Amino acid sequence: MTTPEMIHRSETAVSIELQTPDMTLNIGPQHPSTHGVLRLVANIDGERVTDVEPVIGYMHRGYEKLSEVRTYAQITALVNRIDWVSGFANEVPFIAGVEKLMGVEVPERAQWIRLILSELARISSHLVFMSSYPLELGATTPLMHSLREREYILELIEEVTGGRFHPNFNRVGGVKPAYGGGSTTKKQSMDLPEGFFQRTADAMDRMDVICDDIDQLVTGNELIKMRTVGVGVIPGSKALEYGLTGPNLRASGVAYDLRKADPYLTYDQVDFDVAWRPEGDCYDRYVVRLEEIRQSARIVRQAIDKIPSGPLQAKVPRVLKAPKGQVYSRAENPKGEFGYFIVSEGGKIPYRLKIRSTSFSNLSILPWILKGQLVPDLVAIMGSLDFVLGDVDR
Amino acid sequence: MSKNVAFPFPGLVKGMWVTLKALFKKAPVTMYPDVQEIPVPRARGVISLDVDACTVCMLCARECPDWCIYIEGHKEEQPPSKPGGKPRVRATLDRFDIDYGLCMYCGICVEVCPFDALFWSPEYEYSETDVINLLHNKERLTEWLATVPEPPALER
Repeated sequence: MTTPEMIHRSETAVSIELQTPDMTLNIGPQHPSTHGVLRLVANIDGERVTDVEPVIGYMHRGYEKLSEVRTYAQITALVNRIDWVSGFANEVPFIAGVEKLMGVEVPERAQWIRLILSELARISSHLVFMSSYPLELGATTPLMHSLREREYILELIEEVTGGRFHPNFNRVGGVKPAYGGGSTTKKQSMDLPEGFFQRTADAMDRMDVICDDIDQLVTGNELIKMRTVGVGVIPGSKALEYGLTGPNLRASGVAYDLRKADPYLTYDQVDFDVAWRPEGDCYDRYVVRLEEIRQSARIVRQAIDKIPSGPLQAKVPRVLKAPKGQVYSRAENPKGEFGYFIVSEGGKIPYRLKIRSTSFSNLSILPWILKGQLVPDLVAIMGSLDFVLGDVDR
Repeated sequence: MSKNVAFPFPGLVKGMWVTLKALFKKAPVTMYPDVQEIPVPRARGVISLDVDACTVCMLCARECPDWCIYIEGHKEEQPPSKPGGKPRVRATLDRFDIDYGLCMYCGICVEVCPFDALFWSPEYEYSETDVINLLHNKERLTEWLATVPEPPALER
């Protein structure tokens, strides 16, 4: 009969007999759990990670440098490719910065439309998380459900802007689809298509249903809880030290949301709760995102009721020239604070554009948080941080 | 670190209930080659060109963020409209190519065109097996003109 003491003795004997020195394991650049081309050089001791170094830059496209030779209108088309699962949300802070530089007042209806589409982008981004995160933990069913619902959101965005992923809808001074010429169409102001509000309200009802479905599929599931509860705990102080923002920070007990803390667009006129959780583990990061879908649906419903009619475009000169100066403009993107620092020397192109991309800051905590974790937990923790490699490397 | 291994039965039943509900819903999938999805009128599928409206002003080629429009033209002398008047000079389009291998579908060219020569068409079926065939010349771009839809009705 084997007693616990005997098992313990035999395990010790095994580890003395078998030398288990540190081994270097390359995870990526191509690996199903890394959301793109991220390479992790992990030192592992058996199943434990002793040290991790993320190697980034495989998808560096040089947007900051490209922006130095492009006009402001052309940069708008570039920046929505940074974080491709929430293209519209990337445009908003950039165009707001240019407007701040030029001193352009945006009509109220355009601001409300920006708010609605930003929230739709947030929902679609979080639905990607709702599909990919359970998939990394081994559950394939939520992927089918959430990607199906995401398609309804993308259809709405396409209907208004003309593009599913890359809307390119913001102009300095307002919003306008890049919809084609024609003397007939030019005379009309390019407003939202007829029935858009009704279809959006229907889609928001669908979002409530899918949130309940995901709740049943994932939130209460014992296996998911075993993989995520208490895994990868980030205390609030550490999260602030590493510059985490967005749902990752709010899951660590810091209820910081730029939409409340520094309201932009018309967020001060809508009523919503900041979703936050105290523990800071993978499960909380997941629950915060699920709650944010509900809150976004709530914001969109209010916006549909409150949106005024009026012009969509302020009067701006045909050739856009920003005066000399510098401005930092930021917004609460689905993944956290997204900011642009624009330096203008006067003229049609910026002198320098610094992009504070969210995922890059969120990823910087990886070496600290992965130290001492199990290799299977590495996948769970990385997925819960929800980064997009295009946003990291930009 | 030993965890209490929970028995996953209740969560499994709840999950299967969602699956069961989905089983009796209508599938939202469009069986693509057999059934074609109708894109929205504003969809940015392909750019079409109205050759008669184009005045070779080069604005689109200049404003394109990745410079994928190639335009060549020449000046042609037209006979004067009135006898004894000055002969007119008219710009004629020789070449108008859009390289869809480079195009990023931002729509800036369509927007800056001051003479309404460029239009978006929601057509999407022009994939090629050879990348060189993605360079559409002006005859091919004119063909798309027939597919440009009417603008959608507007909200309020």
